[in-house]
Amino acid sequence: MTSTADLSSTSDLTGTATARHRPGGTAGIIARYAGWDLRRNIRMFESTFFIIMLPAALYLVFGAMSGFGDLPVGHGNVAAYSMVSIALYGAVTAMTAIAGSAAIERQRGWGRQLGLTNLSGAGYLTGKTLVGLGMAVLPIVVVFVVGAVTGARFDQPWRWGLSGALILLGALPFALYGLAAALLFRSEAAISAASGLMVVLAFFGNLFVPLSGVLLDIARFTPLYGSAALARWPMLGGEVIDVGAGAQHDPLWWVLANVVTWTVIFGLLCAGGARRRTGRA
Amino acid sequence: MTETSIPARAAPAIRTHDLARHFGAVPAVDGIDLQIDRGEIVALLGPNGAGKTTLLDLVLGFTAPSAGTVSVLGRQPRRAVAAGAVGAVLQTDGLLHDLTVRETVAMIAACQRHHLPVAEVLERAGISAIAGRKVNKCSGGEQQRLRFALALLTEPDLMLLDEPTAGMDVRARTEFWAAMHAEAERGRTIVFATHYLQEAADFADRIVLLGAGRVLVDGTVAEVTARGRRTLSCDWLAAEAPARFADRTGLADPPQIEDGRVRFTTQRTDALARTILTEELGRNLEVTAASLDEVFLDLTSEPTGPRTTEPAGV
Repeated sequence: MTSTADLSSTSDLTGTATARHRPGGTAGIIARYAGWDLRRNIRMFESTFFIIMLPAALYLVFGAMSGFGDLPVGHGNVAAYSMVSIALYGAVTAMTAIAGSAAIERQRGWGRQLGLTNLSGAGYLTGKTLVGLGMAVLPIVVVFVVGAVTGARFDQPWRWGLSGALILLGALPFALYGLAAALLFRSEAAISAASGLMVVLAFFGNLFVPLSGVLLDIARFTPLYGSAALARWPMLGGEVIDVGAGAQHDPLWWVLANVVTWTVIFGLLCAGGARRRTGRA
Repeated sequence: MTETSIPARAAPAIRTHDLARHFGAVPAVDGIDLQIDRGEIVALLGPNGAGKTTLLDLVLGFTAPSAGTVSVLGRQPRRAVAAGAVGAVLQTDGLLHDLTVRETVAMIAACQRHHLPVAEVLERAGISAIAGRKVNKCSGGEQQRLRFALALLTEPDLMLLDEPTAGMDVRARTEFWAAMHAEAERGRTIVFATHYLQEAADFADRIVLLGAGRVLVDGTVAEVTARGRRTLSCDWLAAEAPARFADRTGLADPPQIEDGRVRFTTQRTDALARTILTEELGRNLEVTAASLDEVFLDLTSEPTGPRTTEPAGV
């Protein structure tokens, strides 16, 4: 192991530190823990590959290399449409993976280890949410940068920022999705399965290819559809790209109702999973 | 910090009163009164399911009592833990395998308000040399010492260890206890649960033997072994059969005859020796005290409730 791969060599926490008192209260502890955990997750090849590299590659295949990339769509072009879709896919994958692994970690005894520190259970949850957001930001930034240099275009610069922010917001409910999978099935295989299922949800969420007809009717009820429509709002304002039937429109209330409903469903699944935890685990 | 003021300092390390913890209908800890003073080194002995881990969980505040009370260094368990006054080496995995040894200590240190420098803790736990090694490349003994390092971070007054040397080879075990000795000399109170009786005998000042969630015996190693039955063996001279003699003198267990020597097992070896010598029934008497193992087996295999032995079939 080289010293550059050693996280602590870049930290002020080790080696020469002689001060025993750490500044900052609860917030400081949460921030330090989240910082450590974020670096740890970025260093893990499996997570960075699936969360950052894969979405970037998918965008290059579906977006940048498509012949229609420069066709105008709403307030942008087809390349930007693909870019937003794929960035959302990356962000929800990140959220699912981080939330799921957090639950598994806790069950494996790390929770008890932390239970002997000043990081509370709520603090751990907050820290992990920050890590999830941090990891979700990575594919958004990377895919957006790749998009920017390969022809993705918005009419105004602010639409880039707003799209990115809405992707992040739309990815949040999927923290509950990953957590539910971990709490209900309690294994790393369950987290992999949940991430794998994300491909199906992304297909039905209208992220990979524009759906039409019956598939589109079904898609409107699936969990990623709401987040996808929300992320595209700055570009399309609810307009649906339907190759078969021409222009369609989703009202904002439907999009929000989809997001809220699935957030509640995932939340209830988490509560059910948490209740199943018994004994002295 | 007012939390470590005079009254807290005078309080015992652990005090429980009628402490109980039930899981459903199953009593894991079933009414324990225990006081462990500061500076004591106490071994919690007992077979699996005796309640050792649950008792430690109660002391750490990981689980709440079903009945009774527990105070740690004069405080509620969670407060004592939050103040960094309690360190623990737990039985559960509790390590992130992708981190290095040093990173693990630094990450847990980041979650503590006060702690010793990471390098010093690594040194004391004897893992400075493997600080850059990934946790999943560490042996069981090395991982255990890492957990020990994490427990040392806050310089706790009370250190709890749940089967700390499980899975260690002899050398690792010796080194681990050497490190623990050094910590004990700093005046820490150390309470450890173990299966290894020899470890308890070698390291602890006091042994608390648990069975079925209760304290069976509590005392020094000498006191505990004294409670066991001794064995008297001799060359038998009398015409009277040893079994008949045992019957006549009211010994509960029948004597065993081995290589021409007769062995009686009883708590009253002095009286027995006197009878044998005055009646000239035997010679070359030898009395041996029960080993800790024998006491352990004896006490923990005793039925807890009244039970009648039924003559099976005969």
